[in-house]
Amino acid sequence: MIPLRPTQGYHMERYRDTASAAPTPSPLREKTSTPSEKEVCLFLAEYGAWLLGCGATCIRLEKNVQRMAETYGKKVELTITPRHIHVSVLDVLNSETVTTIASVKAIPVSFNLNTLLSQLSWEVADRRLGFDAARERFHSIIHSDSQSRWTVLLLVTLANASFCRLFGGDLWAMAIVGIATLAGYYLKQVLLANKVDIRVVVLACAFVSSVLGASCQLFSLGDTPAVATATSILYLVPGIPFLNSFSDMLYRYYICSFSRFMDAVVLTASLSIGLCAGMALMKVGMF
Amino acid sequence: MDTHILLDALFSAIAAIGFAAISRIPRRAYFYCGVIAALGHSLRFLLMDPQGLHMHIFLATFIASFFIGLLAVFLSPLAKTPAEACFFPSLLPMIPGIYAYKTFGGLAMCILTDSQDAYNYYFYQFTQNGFICISILLGMVVGATLPIFIFKKISFQATR
Repeated sequence: MIPLRPTQGYHMERYRDTASAAPTPSPLREKTSTPSEKEVCLFLAEYGAWLLGCGATCIRLEKNVQRMAETYGKKVELTITPRHIHVSVLDVLNSETVTTIASVKAIPVSFNLNTLLSQLSWEVADRRLGFDAARERFHSIIHSDSQSRWTVLLLVTLANASFCRLFGGDLWAMAIVGIATLAGYYLKQVLLANKVDIRVVVLACAFVSSVLGASCQLFSLGDTPAVATATSILYLVPGIPFLNSFSDMLYRYYICSFSRFMDAVVLTASLSIGLCAGMALMKVGMF
Repeated sequence: MDTHILLDALFSAIAAIGFAAISRIPRRAYFYCGVIAALGHSLRFLLMDPQGLHMHIFLATFIASFFIGLLAVFLSPLAKTPAEACFFPSLLPMIPGIYAYKTFGGLAMCILTDSQDAYNYYFYQFTQNGFICISILLGMVVGATLPIFIFKKISFQATR
């Protein structure tokens, strides 16, 4: 075993399988067409860390990574844990294995990033995108995922007000829920931009939204004040971790499934504490 | 009745598009999310209609979620996005928010109350609403994820 110099953020080791050693090919490679195991391993680990971080399911990660590795003539084995990805790349010609571990990126859920990274894997497989071009494309994708915060704020406000209507709220309730969501989601954007822990963010936003949402009960506005209070915090429900948790369970990635489920439970608990604190402050009854 | 269904579909679509924006779904998929949510939620509305099938909320949600999952699998190749990107915002309008609210409300009141009768009442509220809430959530995720599991090939080639 020949340890390699660790790259920033990665722990890397190189193994040579002497028992099944095939004739060693020439070490000369064309960098664009046949990347080395080390290059492929580092690239796939970084790719996986971003894909898992943006909210992809484990099965999607495994399929995408294997698709790209096969195109570059390598075999890949993955171990996916909640916070790290362990990638082993084997060159089918010379039986050399390179292993690396990458930390999963702590980034917000983004199906846009998920879609673009999945498309990249198909471009590599179908259009034989060269390794350097793929790496360049990958870096341009991860630096291009932006969204107008004001558009999102407006859409979320409308969405939660519509939610209120779906649960039987009247126009007063819809208006109050709209205001509560606008304030709460704006606070969420500001706190997340300041790198505040997501659990604290959810608790604070639930508190603010429930205090504002309780206005209907406090000032006797409309006929459905309880619906306004109850739906004012629904934009904070951690739906994606719950859904991904079940998807991982279906494909038997039990560790990741449990981890995502626990993440969702902790966020739901933060949300509930914020809601209860807001209602207690406003002296609004639950039933 | 017709107006009710149309309004239900409209507000579901708006809710789905808003939640699509939170999870940064590509803009071209917003339309599909809205359509899937409108159809799925309207189906649940019809299944639960007291003058129609009058189905229990759990079964109605499971069937509607399965329908949403199927639509997402077959429409996601058109939107060129993963199937889960299409069904997730469409499922959200069916989240049992009121049940969840009453569950936590019951729990909080159990802690705060002194009288045994009141405690029994709030504990009943907590468990009954909690069980319904969890079963609906399970029905939603199982129903919507099953089509992706069944039609693996289509689901994982949507972004091709």
